[in-house]
Amino acid sequence: MTSRPVSLSNVTGHLLLMVLVVIAVFPVYWMAATSLKAANAMFQMSLWPANPTAENYRFVWENLPFGLMMGNTVAMASLQMVSQLLTALLAAYAFARWKFWGSRVIFALIAMTWLVPFQVTMIPNYVLLSRLGWLNTLYGLVIPHIASAFSVLLLFQNIKAFPTELIDSSRIDGATSWGTLWRVVMPNLRAPLAALGILLFISAWNEYFWPLLVMTKPERSVIQIGLQMFLTEQGDLWGPLMAAATMASLPIFVLYVILQRQVIDSFVKSGLR
Amino acid sequence: MHPRKQVGVTEQTMAGQELVLPTPVTVVRRTVRWDKGLERLQPYLYLLPVMITLGVWIYWPLVRTVYLSFFQWNLLPTTPMIYVGWENYRRILTLPEMQQATVNTLLYILGILPLSVIIPLAVALFTDNISKRWRNFYRALIFVPMIMAPVVVSIIWRWLLNPTVGVVNYALTGGDFVDPVNFFRGETLAIWTIIVITGWKLVGFSTLLFSAAISNINRETIEAASIDGANYWQTVRSIILPLLSPTVLLMVMLSVLLVSQWSFAYINVLTQGGPLGATTNVYYILYMYGFRTFAIGWSSAAAVILFITFGLLAAGLLSLINRYSFYDA
Repeated sequence: MTSRPVSLSNVTGHLLLMVLVVIAVFPVYWMAATSLKAANAMFQMSLWPANPTAENYRFVWENLPFGLMMGNTVAMASLQMVSQLLTALLAAYAFARWKFWGSRVIFALIAMTWLVPFQVTMIPNYVLLSRLGWLNTLYGLVIPHIASAFSVLLLFQNIKAFPTELIDSSRIDGATSWGTLWRVVMPNLRAPLAALGILLFISAWNEYFWPLLVMTKPERSVIQIGLQMFLTEQGDLWGPLMAAATMASLPIFVLYVILQRQVIDSFVKSGLR
Repeated sequence: MHPRKQVGVTEQTMAGQELVLPTPVTVVRRTVRWDKGLERLQPYLYLLPVMITLGVWIYWPLVRTVYLSFFQWNLLPTTPMIYVGWENYRRILTLPEMQQATVNTLLYILGILPLSVIIPLAVALFTDNISKRWRNFYRALIFVPMIMAPVVVSIIWRWLLNPTVGVVNYALTGGDFVDPVNFFRGETLAIWTIIVITGWKLVGFSTLLFSAAISNINRETIEAASIDGANYWQTVRSIILPLLSPTVLLMVMLSVLLVSQWSFAYINVLTQGGPLGATTNVYYILYMYGFRTFAIGWSSAAAVILFITFGLLAAGLLSLINRYSFYDA
C-alpha cells in the first residue's frame, strides 16, 4: 500500500497472524490428538500421539447412544434450516414485490424480534411446549425456530438488490406471484440462499440453550446435550470425551473444508449487516 | 434481456397489482371483484408463516413474561399462581446475588471488548497489505473457533486448563504440576477464564470482519491521501478509522448486547456460575431462577428489567451507528 515500510510491516503482519493461527488451531488440534491417545498415554504431552488408537472412539460408540444422537441432530438442523429458508424466502418476497397496507409496521415488528433475548421468552415458551406435549420431541426443538428476523432481513436485502424488471416483466407476462417466486426469484437467489443455509445449519447444529431446556433423555437428545451429559457423568474419561467432542464436530468440519469460503463469507456478512 | 423490459415504466399502485403502462401490452386485467380482494391479500399470505411463528414464540411469550413477573409461581401446572404486585421487582432489585450478577455482566462486557474489538482491529490494520493467497490461508485457520460448538469448546478448555493434567498448567509449572493455576476455581480468576474462552471463539471472526471492512474502503481515497503526503498511520487515523466506525460500533454493540448470551454455555458447562457466584451474569441468573430454583416470578421480573435496559442500549447504539454510516461511500 502507501508509504509504509513494506518489508517490516509485512513481517509483523505475518507474525501476528501466525500467533493468531496457533491460538485458534492448537486447542482444536489438541482435542483431536488426545482422542487418539491410549489411556496409558493420556498424560504424555508429546505433540503427536505416539501410538494412535481408535479405542476411545469405540468406547463412545459402545457406551453412548451416539448414532441416535447424531441422527437426531442431523434431522433437527436440516429441518430448521429448510423451514427457516422457506419462511424467510416467502416473507422477503412479499416485502420486495408489493407495497401493502401495514408493510412498514410488519417489517419493523419482524426486525425488532432480533432484540428480544432468548432468555426473556424462555419460560412461557417452555410452558407452552410442555402443554403441547412437545418436550423431548423434534417438534419442540424445531417449531419455535422455523422463522427468524435475521433470515428475513438477509434475503430481503438480496431480493431488493436484483433488478425489479425481472419481477415486473414476469408479472406482465401474466405469471402468478407464486410462479414468479419459483421461476424467476428463486433461481436468482441461489447463492445467498446457499450461504444462509450453511449459516443456519451450523448454528442449529451448535445450538445449546433451547435443547438444554427441551431435551432431558439422552437417546432422544441432540449431540450437544449428549456431550454435556457425558461430561457431567464421566468428566475424567478424557480420551473418550475428546473422541466424542471430535465426532460431534466432524460434520461441521467437513462442511467447512468443502465450503470454506462460503462459510466465512456468510458469517462475515451476517456481522456486517 | 427480456424485450418487454423496454416498456420501462412499471408504476405500482398502492395495492401493487395494477400496472400503468404507456404502451399496450398483454396485461391480464382482473375484473372479478373477489379475485382482486384475494390479490390484495397475497402479501399477507406470504408473510403468514413468519408472522405466526414470531407471534407465537416471541411476542406472545414476551407478554406472558410481563404477566408472570407479577406472580409467585414454581412452574408446576398444579400449583396456583399468586398475585404479588410489584414485589418480585422489589426483591430482584435488592437481592445481593442479582447485584453481583450485574457487576459481573459489566465485567464480561469490559473484558470481552479487547478480544472482540481492540485486538482484532489492530491485527486487521497491521495485516492489510498481506498478499491474497497468504491471507486466505490465515483466514481459513483463524476462523475455525467460530464454527465450533460451545459445548465442544467448553470440553476442550476444561482439558487444556485442567490443574493436574492440562497442557497449560504443564507449561506454567514446567512439567511437574506443583502449585498449578486453578483456572475455574479461583474467585477472581474464574470470570476471566470464561471471558477468555468466550473471546477465543470470537477473535478470528472479528478480525475477518474488520479486514473485510478495510478492503471495502475505496483504494483511491487512501491513495489520494498518500499523494497529499500523509504517512500510513496518518491515513489510518484520519481516513480508515472514520470509515470503519460503523463496523467497529456494530461489533461493540454485538459485544455489549450478546456477551452474556455467548458466555452462557461456558458458564453452565464449566462453572455453573460458581465459585460463589463469581461467574454468574444476568442471563445466567435468569436461567437459574427459572429452571433451577423455579422462582418464575423473580426470573420474569428480572427478564423484563433486562429487556428494557438492553433494548434502550441497543436503540442508542443503533442510532450512533446510523449517524456514522454516512461515511460509507
